[in-house]
Amino acid sequence: MSEATPTLHLSSGPHIASGRTTAQIMWMVNLSLLPALLWAWAVFGWAVLAVTASSILGCIAAEYVVCRIAKTASTVSDGSAFCSGLLLAYTLPPAIPLWMPFIGGALAMVFAKGLFGGLGYNIFNVALVGRAIMMATFPVEMTTRWLAPALGKADAVSAATALAQLKLGGQAALAKMLAAVPDGAQIWFDFFLGMRAGSIGEVSVLMILLGAAFLLRKGIIKLYIPLSILVGVALMAPFSPAPVLYMLSGGLWLGAFFMATDYVTSPVTPKGQIVFGIGIGLLTGIIRNWGGYPEGICYAIMLMNILTPALNDWFRPKRLTADGVPS
Amino acid sequence: MNLFFWRDSALPTFSRGGIHPDEHKELTENLPIEDFIPASVSLPVSQSLGPSAEPVVANAAKVKRGDVIATVPGGVSLHAPVSGIVKSVQSGPHASLVYDTVITIQAKPEEDEPQFPEQPGWQALPVAQMLERIRDAGVVGLGGAAFPTYRKLTLPKDAKVDTLVINGSECEPYLTCDYRLMLEESEKVVLGSWLIARIIGVRSCVIGVEDNKLPAAEKMRETINRLGLETMDPPVKMVVAVTQTRYPQGSEKQLVQSLTGRLVPKGGLPIAVGVVVQNVATAIACLDAIRNNKPVMDRVLTVSGHGVKTPKNLRVPIGTSAKDILEHCGGYEGEVVKILLGGPMMGRTIADLAVAVTKGASGLLFLTAAETSITHYQACISCGECIDACPMGLEPNRVSQYVEVGRPLETEQFGIKECFECGCCSYSCPSHRPLVQFMQVAKAAYRRHERKAK
Repeated sequence: MSEATPTLHLSSGPHIASGRTTAQIMWMVNLSLLPALLWAWAVFGWAVLAVTASSILGCIAAEYVVCRIAKTASTVSDGSAFCSGLLLAYTLPPAIPLWMPFIGGALAMVFAKGLFGGLGYNIFNVALVGRAIMMATFPVEMTTRWLAPALGKADAVSAATALAQLKLGGQAALAKMLAAVPDGAQIWFDFFLGMRAGSIGEVSVLMILLGAAFLLRKGIIKLYIPLSILVGVALMAPFSPAPVLYMLSGGLWLGAFFMATDYVTSPVTPKGQIVFGIGIGLLTGIIRNWGGYPEGICYAIMLMNILTPALNDWFRPKRLTADGVPS
Repeated sequence: MNLFFWRDSALPTFSRGGIHPDEHKELTENLPIEDFIPASVSLPVSQSLGPSAEPVVANAAKVKRGDVIATVPGGVSLHAPVSGIVKSVQSGPHASLVYDTVITIQAKPEEDEPQFPEQPGWQALPVAQMLERIRDAGVVGLGGAAFPTYRKLTLPKDAKVDTLVINGSECEPYLTCDYRLMLEESEKVVLGSWLIARIIGVRSCVIGVEDNKLPAAEKMRETINRLGLETMDPPVKMVVAVTQTRYPQGSEKQLVQSLTGRLVPKGGLPIAVGVVVQNVATAIACLDAIRNNKPVMDRVLTVSGHGVKTPKNLRVPIGTSAKDILEHCGGYEGEVVKILLGGPMMGRTIADLAVAVTKGASGLLFLTAAETSITHYQACISCGECIDACPMGLEPNRVSQYVEVGRPLETEQFGIKECFECGCCSYSCPSHRPLVQFMQVAKAAYRRHERKAK
């Protein structure tokens, strides 16, 4: 044998791995968010791309600075800061001044992620903390800079969101909305497709579902959380003057499929995830129906984020063996 | 797409967890078993669980194939796998990374090599004598666990056992030695299984084979029919059950559930639910011991991985060094980063090519960087993949987090004592966390703690 002995690695098993990495998962999530962005660009114009870029830059810049200060290896390339920036932008009105998302993204990265120890250690969904900070800091811009969808038209005009109209106007507002379209069913279809005023990434249920289908197919998310959120909100829908619009509007679908399913801040077992989801759904309904805001999914998810460690304790995986019988 | 729970096959399998790693069995599955006898063998005296044997031969002693060279009361003897001269009895490397007493024998074939002919009346021996022969032949579990077989087959008085499971799952990637044995020595597997059934007094025997080894299942079925086990004395109803290919199908508790639907209780052995499990190679070793008075002197193992020129299924004497096997198989191919004794999921890395094949070694793998996983690990992102993958329903994620912050003695609640280190968790972790290692650290902390408490 002529060859020299190679440098051998010693470790306990297993010596092979599935090949999936955290960075891969994050970039696949980012990819799955693309359809929603393209739709927003089509109906709201170039502003959405600028807002999104601003938010992502804010997050990445803050992540980079935090890593430098903490003297840890830069985690910018793992896609998670990019993802937080993208998701934050998706919760913002399309016509918000461009410097605001940068500030919101940067503050979220520092306070919700960096100070907790980085990826894996945060308690709250980073993008939603960003949104909450911005709601407190820029309340007017966050609730008024809406655009009416204008597929193929050059200029977008300002508008109010359906949930805000319903919140303020009740039955009368609904009647007005229905009067604006030739056929009542048309409005449901518009909402499903995304022909409505709203935050950048939340308006098209269809595009969100396209991205979610990709993540489900790749095994990155499971249906327990999103379905239970939808069930929870549906339980609260009868309290609204327009239950179907209630289900199709606001940030519900974006929140259910992309925010609440964040690994770090959601429970790990199916039972825990179902309770987590139902809780989010009910809280969303409570805030929408009786709270001070038209939409409640952001705070509902953050409130349930607090419960995640407890849910992990309460709902343990089923042991194969427990005193001789399956538990 | 598996959105909820529906199963991908109607074949039986265990109820939770498990993974589907790349099999790599194509490297060796069609290669018949070859014999290889090196110029010298070095046998570590620790070959099985339980007390280590003490050498009973000294330097320059002349030994014959089959002579006892180390023994221990209540333990398993070690036999000379080749005739020759004892060159040394000294400290040497052992597969478990510690040093052990190693007996080195220079092979020198004699004119009248022992032949181990069939013993008359072997089928009708009393059970106690059969067990003695198994013990004296140094038979241990050849699937990897290396537990002394006579002890496993000596049932407690109150044990109610009704089924023998013969494990032909070979669920570890790369390994094909049990597959080849089922194809090439099916008659010995069947007769050995019949003997074990006779020893433990059961009339029902199930041979479990994964559905990636259908030719072996077919061959075993054919052999069972040909030998007519139901007309032997005592008659045994032997069936071959094809299971889903899903790691760790070959783990005792999982296989028992797959084949009988019974769940082994926490901390218990399959015997608690009336089942004894033996590996196919062990069945052959039992037949050799009882029918031919032939001790365990060699074993079949798979030499594979993309880091060795010509992968093979080899029958080698116990004590053959990794170095001799590597040379016999054409040397390295590409850049080898890990050498394993055993399979890629549960096998051990070796640091030294002088490490020898022990009775429990089912594979010698030479892995290149492309096929193994060497990387830094990151923080847990709570994805839950390890929980989904764990066949026992444990929480490796939380054990790892507790160990990381120095609280290993609070991990029993996450089930570490039920962990058998199959590796499904680490395999699945996207943050590449060495979860099995964290489990081992926690277990070691408990062992230390319990020792101190005494």
